[in-house]
Amino acid sequence: MSVCARHKVSEAVLAGIRRGAPSWPVLIGLLLLAIFLILAIFAPLISPYDPWEPGKPFLPPSGTHPFGTNDIGQDIFSELVYGTRISLFVGFFAAFVSVAVGTLVGLFSGYLRGAADEVLMGATDIVLIIPALPLMIILAAHTSPSIWNIIIVIGALWWTSTARVVRSRVLQLREMPFVESARGLGAGDAYIVFRHILPNTLQVILAKFILAVAGAMLTEASLSFLGLGDPLQKSWGMMLNYAFSRGGFINGYWWWYLPPGICISLAVLSFVLIGFGLEEREQKAMMPSQL
Amino acid sequence: MRRSASPFLLQKLLRYSLALLAIIAINFFLPRLMPGDPIANILGENYLYASAEHIQKLRIELGLDLPLHQQFCHYLVDLLHGQWGMSYQYTQPIYDIIIYRMQWTLVLMIPSVLIGAAAGLVLGSVSGWNRGKRLDSVMTAILLLLYSTPGYWLAMLAVLIFAFYLDVLPLYGMLSSESTGLEKIGDLLVHMVLPVTILSLYKASGSYLIMRSSVIQVLGDGYILTARAKGLDDAAILFKHVLRNALMPLITVFALDFGSMVSGALLVEIVFSWNGMGTLIYDAILARDYPLLDGCLLAISICVLVANLFADIVYSIFDPRLRN
Repeated sequence: MSVCARHKVSEAVLAGIRRGAPSWPVLIGLLLLAIFLILAIFAPLISPYDPWEPGKPFLPPSGTHPFGTNDIGQDIFSELVYGTRISLFVGFFAAFVSVAVGTLVGLFSGYLRGAADEVLMGATDIVLIIPALPLMIILAAHTSPSIWNIIIVIGALWWTSTARVVRSRVLQLREMPFVESARGLGAGDAYIVFRHILPNTLQVILAKFILAVAGAMLTEASLSFLGLGDPLQKSWGMMLNYAFSRGGFINGYWWWYLPPGICISLAVLSFVLIGFGLEEREQKAMMPSQL
Repeated sequence: MRRSASPFLLQKLLRYSLALLAIIAINFFLPRLMPGDPIANILGENYLYASAEHIQKLRIELGLDLPLHQQFCHYLVDLLHGQWGMSYQYTQPIYDIIIYRMQWTLVLMIPSVLIGAAAGLVLGSVSGWNRGKRLDSVMTAILLLLYSTPGYWLAMLAVLIFAFYLDVLPLYGMLSSESTGLEKIGDLLVHMVLPVTILSLYKASGSYLIMRSSVIQVLGDGYILTARAKGLDDAAILFKHVLRNALMPLITVFALDFGSMVSGALLVEIVFSWNGMGTLIYDAILARDYPLLDGCLLAISICVLVANLFADIVYSIFDPRLRN
């Protein structure tokens, strides 16, 4: 199945390219993402210092420390570079959890219909209206602060929109002739769902995944800013938290809290641009000759 | 009965009640089912400072020696009577603290929601109408960047520029002096400028994107082509056909968005030391004041659910298909 899935993803990407050259938002998004991926992968080579190594505190930006140092003298530029790893890691994994849950809920709901659909979509509606951040705060406060708990907490609450989109796609697909003929040939439900329906929903799921990464990165930053992040990991949100709670903000040490915010903003933007570009293209494909 | 409440609203009401019950259940079960002594999970940090007798007294008071289902019934009854427990940090009833703080959060949120939604609506329609032109590209780029930027960081940036360097607006807080009457209101308004601006931008970026894609979608519908074929001019099409239909999804999203708006407000408040729910939650996290955090979640959920219900009522008035 995974081979088939990978094949379908590349097919979806190829189909997208064939439909026209990638638009500027997608290109800019991909470029930004490439920069952050390079920072994350080559963090030890790029950062001039060990981000955990203490030194002279509160140094303003200079030749030796491009973005100065924090309250215990750690090099802020190196912290930023290593922070890319944590922020992307949390973003990807939380998005993966949420999209996996949402896909399963949407598949079952759309394929089984009837009572199962009612129950699953009712549950989706309920999760959707509960204010996410306050609930995440409670969950994160009661569990020990760790990066995995944050991933689970975000994943557990972010799946609703994926579930809805996948469900409506499945409702369309299950009535299509090729599904009918598979059923006519005696294929079982599991076979139809995983071999025929799932591969055809991948394009929708991919778009949702990309947007979920953006949402998860923003949420991780918010939770970390509130002091609920993993103290053993340097994420951009944690840097903002330290800068805010340990005097960087009150004293106007802008070099401490502006760079992590810019990084969050640009990294989130890269995913939003890619996701937005994909959605635009689908809208265009739906109404080719309009205006 | 059938005339006053449509099945649509009844169904919504059922879902909201279930959502509320889910929140209450999370608040109840989380501290009791987590590993360790439930009283420690309920008291948080204060467990360390409380005396043994006090803890024993609390254990009986909270009914922790009773079976779980009985405890839950007591818990529900207490909540309904406004007995949300005591905050150890403030030594005050949680219910009273939250009612007071909630007002200040609403003072920030209501103007921000109105300004932001209006701005997003106008800009989004203009962009959607001029889809693909330079104006649309530039506005979309700016609003996507805003959309990707954490509001609280934007607040920190605004404080740096307007309070530190330009020194034209107050750094933080709600009132700077012991003033009365009109002067006090003026003082409050000055303190509101930055937080309300930031929150309006936050709100505008969200509703802009929704409005834009909504207008674009309506433009693709057949009746717009018909209107054009009838020879209607642009203004008539825009106001009579496009906007009237594009506004519908905005109403639902307006309400759904209310939850994310609360979250945005909570974080922005912290930066400005605004004495609302956000700083309350922030201080409760720092002090590990779990009962207070639980109360905040419940109170915010109730507000969000009420806002949703309100939007549903508006929606069912505007969309005749939902009336019966």
